[in-house]
Amino acid sequence: MKTIKRKQQLAGWGFLLPASILIAIMSFYPIIQAIFMSLKTGSSANLQWANPLTYNYTRMFKDALFLRSVGNTFLYLIIQVPIMLILAILLAQLLNNKDLKFRGLFRTMVFLPCATALVSYSLIFKSLFATQGLVNTILVNLGIFETNYNFLGNTNSARAIIIIALIWRWTGYNMVFYLAGLQNIEYSVYEAAKIDGANSWKTFWKITVPLLKPTIIMTVIMSINGTLQLFDESVNLTSGGPANSTITMSHYIYNNSFGQGVANFGYASAMSFFVFILVAILSRISMKVGDKRD
Amino acid sequence: MKKKLLSLMLAGALAVTAFAGCGSSSSGSDSSSDSSSSDTASESTDDENTLTVYAWDANFNIPALKAAEAAYQEKNPDFVLNIEEQSQSSDVEDAVTLAGSSGDYSTLPDIVLFQDHYIQKYVADYPDAWNTMADADIDWSDFGAEKLSYSTVDGVHYGVPVDNGTVIFAYRVDILEECGYTMDDVTGITWDRFIEIGKDVYEKTGKYLLSMDGDGNDLPYMMLQAEGASQFNEDGTPNLTSDTVKDIVDVITRMSQENVLYLANDWSDYTDQTIMGDMVAGVMNGNWIIPTIEQVEANSGKWEITTMPTLSGEEGYASNGGSSLYITSNCSNVELAQDFLAYTFGGGEGAIATYDSALTDGGVITCCLSAGESEVYQQGVAYFNDQAIYSKIVEMGGNVKTVTQSDYHYSARSLVAAAIININQGAELDSELASAQEQLEFEMGL
Amino acid sequence: MTKKNKSATQRRLIPTYIFLIIVSFISVFPLYWMISAATNNTVDVATGKLTFGSYAAQNFANLLARTDLWGTLWNSFKYAGVQTIVALFVCSLAGFGFELYHDKGKDIVFNILLLAMMVPAVATMIPLFKMMSKFGLLNTVWAFILPTISTPFLIMMFRQNSRNFPVDILEAARIDGVSEFGIFFRMYMPVMKSTYAAAAVITFMNAWNAYMWPKVVMTDNRAQTMPMLIANLAAGYTVDYGVLMMGVLFCSIPTMIIFFVLQKQFAEGITGSVK
Repeated sequence: MKTIKRKQQLAGWGFLLPASILIAIMSFYPIIQAIFMSLKTGSSANLQWANPLTYNYTRMFKDALFLRSVGNTFLYLIIQVPIMLILAILLAQLLNNKDLKFRGLFRTMVFLPCATALVSYSLIFKSLFATQGLVNTILVNLGIFETNYNFLGNTNSARAIIIIALIWRWTGYNMVFYLAGLQNIEYSVYEAAKIDGANSWKTFWKITVPLLKPTIIMTVIMSINGTLQLFDESVNLTSGGPANSTITMSHYIYNNSFGQGVANFGYASAMSFFVFILVAILSRISMKVGDKRD
Repeated sequence: MKKKLLSLMLAGALAVTAFAGCGSSSSGSDSSSDSSSSDTASESTDDENTLTVYAWDANFNIPALKAAEAAYQEKNPDFVLNIEEQSQSSDVEDAVTLAGSSGDYSTLPDIVLFQDHYIQKYVADYPDAWNTMADADIDWSDFGAEKLSYSTVDGVHYGVPVDNGTVIFAYRVDILEECGYTMDDVTGITWDRFIEIGKDVYEKTGKYLLSMDGDGNDLPYMMLQAEGASQFNEDGTPNLTSDTVKDIVDVITRMSQENVLYLANDWSDYTDQTIMGDMVAGVMNGNWIIPTIEQVEANSGKWEITTMPTLSGEEGYASNGGSSLYITSNCSNVELAQDFLAYTFGGGEGAIATYDSALTDGGVITCCLSAGESEVYQQGVAYFNDQAIYSKIVEMGGNVKTVTQSDYHYSARSLVAAAIININQGAELDSELASAQEQLEFEMGL
Repeated sequence: MTKKNKSATQRRLIPTYIFLIIVSFISVFPLYWMISAATNNTVDVATGKLTFGSYAAQNFANLLARTDLWGTLWNSFKYAGVQTIVALFVCSLAGFGFELYHDKGKDIVFNILLLAMMVPAVATMIPLFKMMSKFGLLNTVWAFILPTISTPFLIMMFRQNSRNFPVDILEAARIDGVSEFGIFFRMYMPVMKSTYAAAAVITFMNAWNAYMWPKVVMTDNRAQTMPMLIANLAAGYTVDYGVLMMGVLFCSIPTMIIFFVLQKQFAEGITGSVK
């Protein structure tokens, strides 16, 4: 009997093996190499140990542009993630109503944006909000604006458009997770609440949110992770402009390794290691907060 | 139903794997038609009559390369130029950077098209990535000195110039006339006079006399070069706080505040909204901007070109953008590559044929002076009111002053651009330029 | 429920309908615009023309002339397809192992693997490129898929959903002498098919849309993918917007079709329902 048990355990480890080895080689080994690289300076063909070793790390906190990119990224995180997730829960709640007609159609339409390629949707939003673009044309014709407004040329509106674009692309994606979670909740729970005289607002907070907690934690972590590594929107929608006021951390790191002709792999690695630490800390916090049993 | 769809999808996907598996196991390469000659480890080709080149822009550089291939086939009928299209110039730089990081340049093609402003840095940082053009049979005096200053490192020629970045100032003659001006009135003027005319034009027609990409702003660089000044000192340190820089930034901010200059958000906004969207009566940039101007068919015959204004009122000459072809160290047939480049872009027997079709197919203008004398260059261009713009551009190219270059060219440029945006939003000129200087020194590690 | 009741319910739902219609409109509108833009010429697109134009055929012809559209579509299908199959196999195997052979040691391993989720893509790109270059894998399907075959997200998803897998069947099968691998192939895979469908949709979309990494390792034009083709169309001194939007359309259609076809399974798979 014992040998059978052992055989089973061995088989279990065997099942993990391919995935674990791949992650070790494709994620852990490179990040360790990146840590070593973050202690070096020079061109990619001729990397030398930095003097002092922490040179790239101290440099990072003196770099006004990097600090701005950190600020921008957190701004997106703080504004976009809550709006998107609340909107997603709300939509999921509405679509979970059995009396609603055309549910499938609504769900499909709301999800459709996340089937568009990242490169494509950035291009679409850029064209829509261009100075001569459609949004301006409509607003001027309706008399809301007197003259065309340069949305992507002003700091606050450019940031707002990045946030709008992100919400557009990802709300449906998150909604599907919530919808899935809601469908696991027995309908009778709601019926009972109704009989107890709870209004829908109360039902939402007292029943839906607690029962959805695992899903909420998962989407929060995914969103934090995604936003802290935000890249495509900054590159394709605003090119980080105007005057670097919308650039994200990943975009700035990319510019330091590629793109601007001045490849500084050591410095880029140091900054990306910093991002890694940030993501790890924030994910940890959200797991801890979510784990508190009430 | 569910089951059926799923199995259908799985079957389809399996078929895909099966195919892909064949391709990769047999040749270790992508399932391309000529798997015999394309080895995954090496981008360059071993076939003795084939060369591989990296280039970007299917409407501009790539037709020029195709023209050169056709021209060289006159000499060597078996010759094949395998052009790998890249999405932008930085893709080529990244390819060199990445190859350098693994110390293995065998991933590079035989020849690369490379941005002029970066090549010096890349020759310095990756000395093993290149082959020189020293042995090539090229009469270097046939090229403008300014253009060659980019591709020459320590007196050794590394590249063969392709396109010419000479700056043109194109005006809408019909709009100028409507406001009571002629082309002579806008040639050889000071920037202050330019602003006066521009204000007048905006008031009368609602069109800006100039637009620019505010994000990667090319204006300060071009205006500085027309003055013979640079963003850098001779020793390579940044010089963003000199009086000339301040004067020029001041002119730019005044222009944008007086509705003479429209600063677009980015490159595509600049080309699509301001130029193609017919917002402007004037365009100033490297001459590669011409195909963009020509997109608006309705304005054919209404444009003409001239030189730039300057601070002093002399005719201004500058150069912006432009690239050259370089042979990499991975090229196994250096002689063929050198002969091909010398024969075509280098001013050899095939130069006229190359540059003539490059001009007609892609709008690439030669910096090879003798090729600029061909008949095609002397013809009037209908879109530009039958002005013989190409010969004029080649001639203007000879007058461009050589200024100090830096590996941090684009960093300087984007920092000055950011300063201008901030000044336009109310910040103070001196302090903005000082902080741009500071950030640039920081980036350079000074 | 009486008829009157029903119509009263529907009446109460009117604000919901209005809200959902507005959200759906906002969701679909940019996509409508993408399609209409593909039928207009470049100047019309740049100036925000909303209605359909007559340039669709011309844009399509130009796209075919300028790019190797079919070859690129095939590449994208091939890479995304291989990636989906291999990733699903490897990750479901791991999820199966983690949940149904659960012990303390495996929990530790699982937590370590989760850390990989936080590794930023920019950080690993350079070391990974060196690796691919060293083993001569550049421009092959392997360079494309290897870094993203095994993802913590997929492993987590399979692990979570395996919780609903009926353990009694497992024991019964063992008594019948079915091998551990046999259990995976013959029992686990069929039962978990909606999880597989959801995972397939997510993996395929990610692989199809991948841009940064493929751009680094697929240097040969013959190996390029749809997002790279679009990026090539969007760059350059002059961009033809009609052609570009036609390219964008071709890049978006396959992922949309896959979502349409599998959306029901997708929703079921996310919930972890077992059938």
